[in-house]
Amino acid sequence: MMEDLLRASLSSDTDTAPGAPSTLKSRIFSALVRLEQEDGPLRILSESRDAGEQLCVFEHLVAAVPSEKAQAANPCEVCHARLLGEHVENAPIYWPGCPYSRYCGH
Amino acid sequence: MSNPLDVAKSDLELAAAIRQRDRKATARFVELYSDAVYRYVWRRLFPRTEAVPDLVQDVFVAAWRALPGYQGDAALQNWVLGIARNKVEDYYRRTLRDAQWLTEGIDTEEAETAPAAVGLSAEGMIDAERDSARASRILDDLPYEYAIVLRWKYWDGRSSLEMAEGLGKTVKAVERLLARARAQFGKQWLNDGKGKEEE
Repeated sequence: MMEDLLRASLSSDTDTAPGAPSTLKSRIFSALVRLEQEDGPLRILSESRDAGEQLCVFEHLVAAVPSEKAQAANPCEVCHARLLGEHVENAPIYWPGCPYSRYCGH
Repeated sequence: MSNPLDVAKSDLELAAAIRQRDRKATARFVELYSDAVYRYVWRRLFPRTEAVPDLVQDVFVAAWRALPGYQGDAALQNWVLGIARNKVEDYYRRTLRDAQWLTEGIDTEEAETAPAAVGLSAEGMIDAERDSARASRILDDLPYEYAIVLRWKYWDGRSSLEMAEGLGKTVKAVERLLARARAQFGKQWLNDGKGKEEE
């Protein structure tokens, strides 16, 4: 009986757990992009846009540059939204197309 | 146009885009699965949740590294949760290996007699939902090594042999630990029930 109870009680036991903090999502995303950069050049932003991905205002600027090298750069490295996103829970970031803004629920 | 963070492409397309080092697809990957992974890891490590953020990040890094091998045999979320399960089991193994009392000083008499004394009330079995909440609460109050060995056994469905191999211990040692954990769980179940009757 006790074993049945343990199995039953544990099988549905994630209901009360919280979702991931926005700062953790931000740090994970930043870490994965760094890994991608170590692996090779990032996919150029105009290709991401053409594949249906939404760019932020700064990425739109970078995507307009006629240089693949420039487009493979990561503007998030110097963006205040990344810094805020990684360090402030639910930071007030409101850039459309910015992942850090999305992680903060905006 | 729909927001691409809200509407996932097929799992294979998403995986392919990440393999092309598409940062926007990677952002979506984190957005789609981080809550599920976090909840999974948080509940399995509770109440020592301070280790959860690092473990969740490890899961995503491992998933990113393993993505070239993703063939779409399972939904991407289930695939990622499978990696989370492995990471949690690694954590369990590390924690239980550090438990000095795993093979030493075990009071087998208590472990072997106490479970037989545990009887769940008929009323308790009728109200399965309430029993489930009560069991979770008791599990969270147990000594941490007891809680995780019970979770490993009854949540992840591992056999004593699998657990013993993972820990580098004998099956008998694992079964003794499980018996002690169940005995402690049973005692607290009975005490919890008495407390409720007195209220």
